[in-house]
Amino acid sequence: MAEEREITLRRFDLSDLDDYMVWASDDRVTAFCRWDSYTDKEDLRRYMRETVLPHPWFRAICLGGRPIGALSVELGVGCDCCKGELGYVLATAHWGRGYATAAVKMAVRSVFQEVEGLERVEALVDVDNKGSQRVLEKAGFVREGVLRKSMVSKGRTRDLVMFSFISTDASVD
Amino acid sequence: MQTDSSAVPPNHDHRKQEPEITLRPFDLSDVGAFMTWASDPRVTRFQRRGPCTSEEDARRYLADHVLPHPWYRAICVDGRPVGSINAKPGQGEERFKASIAYRLAYQHWGRGIATAALRAAVSSLLEEWPHLERLEAIAEVENPASQRVLEKAGFLREGLLRKYVMLHGKSRDVVMYSLLATGPNSDDI
Repeated sequence: MAEEREITLRRFDLSDLDDYMVWASDDRVTAFCRWDSYTDKEDLRRYMRETVLPHPWFRAICLGGRPIGALSVELGVGCDCCKGELGYVLATAHWGRGYATAAVKMAVRSVFQEVEGLERVEALVDVDNKGSQRVLEKAGFVREGVLRKSMVSKGRTRDLVMFSFISTDASVD
Repeated sequence: MQTDSSAVPPNHDHRKQEPEITLRPFDLSDVGAFMTWASDPRVTRFQRRGPCTSEEDARRYLADHVLPHPWYRAICVDGRPVGSINAKPGQGEERFKASIAYRLAYQHWGRGIATAALRAAVSSLLEEWPHLERLEAIAEVENPASQRVLEKAGFLREGLLRKYVMLHGKSRDVVMYSLLATGPNSDDI
């Protein structure tokens, strides 16, 4: 697919701060996120240094080598070591072109190759976030059900749709 | 219209047929009863911990894990512990939800005890933790008995989660259930 050839994933660098700020400060991007939009670049720089850079699986979604979004997989520990939770955000200027779908497909392929023992990648999406649900469906995730009142975001409890991709699922191409 | 009381049909509320159970905190002196189910592989088959191998092992588990637990109760029939039920609250911003797990001595299966215990636990938890909005529980796909217990206790089936947990070295498919403090739940439908 054309979108896949244009999209690459790489680790972040502190020099990506300005690009990161573009989506991290955008309320349309953070509407369904647990976190609130950033208003202070120094707060974001601290977040990048303390969380993004040392994270085992945090990637910049790049278009022509430039970050237009971020994607992460939180790997489970102990009894949860067979699963990882996927999350991603994309700058609004690049919505609607299949970039998130391409990034998710690439990430799923890579993370199963790189993480030993990983069998399940899951993603939890707000019931009202239809765009993100479509991204996951197009990327080959299976919709498993709605987990009612599973998350608090912006002061309200939210219903979330659970999606998963199992290492043995055929990838959609 | 006058109703002949002798023609009134018997009360079909299935809850009346469930046994009388009580819930209470554990004590170290319960170790003997605890061993009954904790050492039984038929009971521990669907639990993370394998069977307790000795009374010393059980006593240590009671002291280190059960007694300090945020919510861990003995399920008692006629005052005697026949199983246990516990609720683990979420951390920090996830305090509004808690996950429930339970287990019962094999000889007491099939009598509605687990269902009665679950109902009693839900009632207590919703009262003791007024901030609670969601109670959840998982049952392995291969454990239909536990799925029935959850359904009878009013939990709603939300979906099948593939390879969701590791148990005894293998990833397992589970069914996720939930009960909301404000409903709707399966006995509202």
